[in-house]
Amino acid sequence: MHAQRSALYTTSHNIANANTKGYTRQRVNFSTTNPYNAIFGQIGTGVQEGSIERIRESFLDVQYRLENSKHGYYTQLSAALSKIEDIMNEPTESGLHHVMETFWNALEDLANHPENSGARQVVASTGQMVAETINYYYNSLARIQRDLGAEIDTKVKYINSLIAQIDELNRQIASVEPHGKLPNDLYDRRDVLVDELSKYINIKVNTVVPEQYGQHPPNAIGLYEIEIVQADGSAYDDGNGNRAKLLSIDTVTGQSTIQRLEVTGENSPEDPLSGNVSKIQVGNVLIDNLNFVGELGGLIRAYGYNLNGEQGKGHLPDMMERLNNYAFAFASEFNAIHQQGYDLSGEQGIEFFIFNENNPAQSIRVNDEIINDPGKIAAARSLTADGKVHSGDNRNALELAKIKGKNFGDYVYLQNGENGLPDGMTEGGTLDSYYASMIGDLGVNTQSAMRNRDNVQVLLDSVENQRQSVSGVSLDEELTNMIMFQHAYNAAGRMITVLDEMLDRIINGMGVVGR
Amino acid sequence: MRVTQSMLTNNMLRNISLSYRKLEKLQDQLATQKKITRPSDDPVVAMLGLGYRTDLNQVEQFTRNIGEVRNWLETTDDALSQGVHVLNRIRELVVQASNDTYEENQREAIAKELRELNEQLKIIAQTKIGDKYLFNGTNTSQSPVQLVEGEEVIQFSDGAINIEIFSGIFIQTNVEGNDLFIREEDGRTTFALIDSIVNALESGASGKEIEGYLGEIDGEIDRFLQVQAEVGAKQNRVELMENRLQQQEVTAKKIMSDNEDVHIEEVITELITQESIHRAALAVGARIIQPTLLDFLR
Repeated sequence: MHAQRSALYTTSHNIANANTKGYTRQRVNFSTTNPYNAIFGQIGTGVQEGSIERIRESFLDVQYRLENSKHGYYTQLSAALSKIEDIMNEPTESGLHHVMETFWNALEDLANHPENSGARQVVASTGQMVAETINYYYNSLARIQRDLGAEIDTKVKYINSLIAQIDELNRQIASVEPHGKLPNDLYDRRDVLVDELSKYINIKVNTVVPEQYGQHPPNAIGLYEIEIVQADGSAYDDGNGNRAKLLSIDTVTGQSTIQRLEVTGENSPEDPLSGNVSKIQVGNVLIDNLNFVGELGGLIRAYGYNLNGEQGKGHLPDMMERLNNYAFAFASEFNAIHQQGYDLSGEQGIEFFIFNENNPAQSIRVNDEIINDPGKIAAARSLTADGKVHSGDNRNALELAKIKGKNFGDYVYLQNGENGLPDGMTEGGTLDSYYASMIGDLGVNTQSAMRNRDNVQVLLDSVENQRQSVSGVSLDEELTNMIMFQHAYNAAGRMITVLDEMLDRIINGMGVVGR
Repeated sequence: MRVTQSMLTNNMLRNISLSYRKLEKLQDQLATQKKITRPSDDPVVAMLGLGYRTDLNQVEQFTRNIGEVRNWLETTDDALSQGVHVLNRIRELVVQASNDTYEENQREAIAKELRELNEQLKIIAQTKIGDKYLFNGTNTSQSPVQLVEGEEVIQFSDGAINIEIFSGIFIQTNVEGNDLFIREEDGRTTFALIDSIVNALESGASGKEIEGYLGEIDGEIDRFLQVQAEVGAKQNRVELMENRLQQQEVTAKKIMSDNEDVHIEEVITELITQESIHRAALAVGARIIQPTLLDFLR
């Protein structure tokens, strides 16, 4: 009866925790008690509870954690790329492409009416619009980058705190197992924490049963060691055999050592993160690539990193650099052609766009002198003999309008030798083709990240399904079990009644012949 | 395989969520009539779309430019017709004047009219379109006829005004006054010729001498007509170009639409199908997750 009752308790525990996250159903292992050796044979003596154990398959856990970290990686990556897409806002009427088109149109109109002050004013205004749009794009990208940086800081802190919690659970488990018991609920709680940790980085769990561990039961799980590994399972090594272990357990004494995960930026030795991520380390072991996936990997990949000898990699730095290149080439060439012409008063053209060479996209703006006096726009190409300009001379305006479709190799500003073409711009490309490839690449990267995320989601769901199949609580099953144990309990109770009757017979009914 | 309630509910939730996602996409497409709203929906379509937009914008800009050119050419043609008309009248008068039977005051009347006609020619030389002088080369804000210290000075500036009517194709829209009003061999202006005819009349030249000027006037008329023919040819070319651009605009819009727009019948059909799938998923899910063993245990 006692045995069946404990089974009933376990069943009710399962039912109560049917919806608890990470709960693994428990089962009582019955085993027969030692038989009684009678003369004619062995008589069984009944049942005893062996142990209460969780029904869980640890291989599924390993699979789940890997898929979970890949899922986290693609989720964060596609989220960041989607944000970039939102900013670039193509193909719409408010994107940079459309704004540039209105600028080129204004220049063509200027070529049609170079003496018209209205046409000049429109050129100055649309030029401002172009500069402001480029500024806005760059600043918005920079803001996203800062937000991602803050998120990275938060995630790192959270990872370290999860490790501390796992360590605490290890300790609690270590106070139960040596007494010969299995702390099932503590195991569950620890596994929930590890599952959550796997979302942020890909980890490998090593179970350690220390040698000095008392009388632990044979199927005790032991203490968890947590190590950061790459997605293909290979470890990070510092060359001296040290691995990236966030939590390590001494195999003899069971003492735990925690090493913090640190992510530092090139501009700041400590929090908060500033500049590209330049160092990721666990203790003294350097992690030099992003193969540890997880949400942290995805965030860093979008944010920007200098790892393994590469500088300024990552989707945001890449986009910002391309925007800078675009602004630089556009403004340099425009200025060069503008300065070759003459304005309405016969003066040589001044710089149309003012910008800082190290920071073109953020700093580009139209020269104030032009905004205040559109007559200074140099539409003409030549002076008359007496140093004046014919107001109908539109040849420089035509040259300015031609920049739209000009090959980079033909750019005039290259000839004065000071600056070259920015990296990534080939001689055969034009401003339009460079911008289109910027948007195209963004689209492809985003689409591919989303597709990967959806694919991994399918795998993740499938593994979770299998886990649930093995470990999940089925209410119908528990209810059936409940009835089963209840019947067994009743039957066992009935046995006692039989014994009682038998004893009664012996005690009260024997030796009363004839009474 | 063992299946639990939680697996069934998770499954149902996941499928319903997927169904909602599809419905959202269809709703987006119907509302915007475009296949894509962001580059990641279809990167190739997005990139091509940018290119087509550029093409369409170019066609629209060139149409505007061509309108400008057409105006200019028409005004020039008009001015030239007037000029030829005036020169023909001058020719008539000179023929009359070469008749020796004309007396003093008749000759004076002819001289007066000739002077008026000369002024008319000068006005034609200052034809404007908007606020630009047609015949003064690139010096469009200045009249070719200026008053310098009380003296009238007629000087034409040169310079071609080119306007782009198609990608890389430029057309010179103006007629330079130097080519029209000035004889190439000796730089003599039409006005100077008429002035000398007037002087000849007033100083009592003979009919024969006056007749000598007829050839010169014919020369002027020939030159005007030749320039007018060139302008006419340009007008034809511009008209052809305009037609071509209109055609291109239609084509460009069609290509862009083929690239980006949805076929509304397709989307609506898909929407209806997806809606019924959604309802089926909801109904089935509700049926399955509700009954448990508890409903049947005594």
